[in-house]
Amino acid sequence: MSDKPFFIGYMPAPEGLRAFLVIVAAAVIGGMAGASWVLGVGQDDPGPGAVRGDYGRQNLMGIVELVPYPLLHVVEGSDTIPEGTTLMMSAGNKAGVDARALPLDGQLAAVSGVVMERGDLQMLQLRGGRRGLGPGGGPMDIPEPVDMGRWRLAGEICDGKCLAGAMRPGRGLAHRACAAMCLLGDVPPVFVSSQPVDGEEFMLITGPDETPLPKEAYDFLSQYVSVEGTIKRHGDLLVFSIDAATLKLTN
Amino acid sequence: MAATLVLLGKIWLWAGAAVAAVFLTFGLDRIDEDAQEAYVFRPLLIPGVLMIWPLVLWRWWHIERHGDITMARYSPVRSAHTAAAVAMSIAIILVLSFGWNARQDWPGDVAPVQMTKGSDE
Repeated sequence: MSDKPFFIGYMPAPEGLRAFLVIVAAAVIGGMAGASWVLGVGQDDPGPGAVRGDYGRQNLMGIVELVPYPLLHVVEGSDTIPEGTTLMMSAGNKAGVDARALPLDGQLAAVSGVVMERGDLQMLQLRGGRRGLGPGGGPMDIPEPVDMGRWRLAGEICDGKCLAGAMRPGRGLAHRACAAMCLLGDVPPVFVSSQPVDGEEFMLITGPDETPLPKEAYDFLSQYVSVEGTIKRHGDLLVFSIDAATLKLTN
Repeated sequence: MAATLVLLGKIWLWAGAAVAAVFLTFGLDRIDEDAQEAYVFRPLLIPGVLMIWPLVLWRWWHIERHGDITMARYSPVRSAHTAAAVAMSIAIILVLSFGWNARQDWPGDVAPVQMTKGSDE
């Protein structure tokens, strides 16, 4: 039988191992605390995005437009969302509202939900079924879009719901998998521009000619990219229709 | 690149599934007499076999050929283990450092460029 001291957790520490035990325990605790601090300070600021439950439920009337993601041009607003606002819409969890919005394209609709907000980006998460999105009075004229030409922008492709405040962080590599799941669930994608375009930092991003965002773009989610495309203003929201072949990492 | 990684993952897991099917129905009885006629626990081993099926095959082959080496597990730590532990520790630090340095910087200094004017401008 060896005379070497042997430590068992439920017995008093042997005399010869106590100093070693104290050093190891201090190193582990200090090391973990240090690693936590380093990892914490290394993270990007998640920003001001938040679910604004404090605004209360928003009951609005507006014209639905599919570009191809559903937008709402508000014609009867609230204290929080005034008339003339153009909103993106999503459902609960990682889902869009395409199926519910499709039969209402170009029509007045009654919507109800809660707002997520980051700066001037607003996303309305609708209640379930027709309580969240239902017919409001028949066809109406959709505001005419304004062509702003072709642009080359740098920035990041995100999902509009998490970016607006559903998640913290709602952008960046740490959020990449979540963003991909949201976009696969038809949540409207948003491009965050490195610098404002016509005063707007956030814009809906689509494929060419306002088709769904091409799958090639999903490979670039949450990374910093440059990309070319055309921009149109729909109401007070910019829609960036990209040419996916021009996507490349910025550095 | 992503598609290749997914394909490699699928191949790995399908190979693991094949190993799990054979090992848990025939192999386990051959190398562990305590497991004979015990079946309920075997599905619990499937996820682990899917992940480390090469190690399962190697251990199976080794025990078939040389007999059980259970007691060898309690041998003193070999000197090579120390070197391996140090190497792995350094590798972890290097991987973290590389990942940290490979992170992109926000292109805040890249201004939007209007390439053509819009028809409404």
